[in-house]
Amino acid sequence: MRNNVKITRVKTSMTQQQLAKNVGVTRQTIGLIEKGEYNPTLSLCIAIAKELEKTLDELFWEVED
Amino acid sequence: MKSWISFLMPDDEYKEKKMLYFLAEGAVLLFLFLVIMIICSNFISLDTGVILLAGIAIFLFYILGRYTLSGIEYTDIATEKEYKRALRALKSRTASFVVLFGIGYLVYTMASNEANWYDFFGMVISVGIISFLLEFISLKKSYKKNKELL
Repeated sequence: MRNNVKITRVKTSMTQQQLAKNVGVTRQTIGLIEKGEYNPTLSLCIAIAKELEKTLDELFWEVED
Repeated sequence: MKSWISFLMPDDEYKEKKMLYFLAEGAVLLFLFLVIMIICSNFISLDTGVILLAGIAIFLFYILGRYTLSGIEYTDIATEKEYKRALRALKSRTASFVVLFGIGYLVYTMASNEANWYDFFGMVISVGIISFLLEFISLKKSYKKNKELL
């Protein structure tokens, strides 16, 4: 699943490790989500969105160009 | 989702999902093995003890193999520096394990009056090498996987 987690995280100058620690998962899981290789549960999506101060739409909704 | 097996599962949801897949695959393989053994038992005589041990071995080795090769054990090792530090820790951990295993095995063999130095050193060295190799492969796989995710 394509998403904007990586772009948003980099913009907020947060490392994968920091984000992972704050949402209670491993750095590997964050890396897999950013690469679109793992679809997180809704509760993890919400935790990531809250941590990055974005809405679920902004992070995970695919908008066709 | 709560289940009685939850206490065995890791906290990380990706790791948990992977472990559930490995356990389920192992269970299906074990089921197929037992079905084949039931069919075979109609034609040849089988030693029940051996079949039960083989079933347990299939289940455990399958899960251990999948876990080791999946690269999910060392989730935070992504740089060369972290990898080298983890490798050093792995070496000292294996050395401690070999010493403890050696002491335990020595006490067991002496207690059962089966002390044989060749067997003792053979067993301790084999266990040490296998333990190190499994951990090393897991570390290497994890490092490679994590490096690609940075």
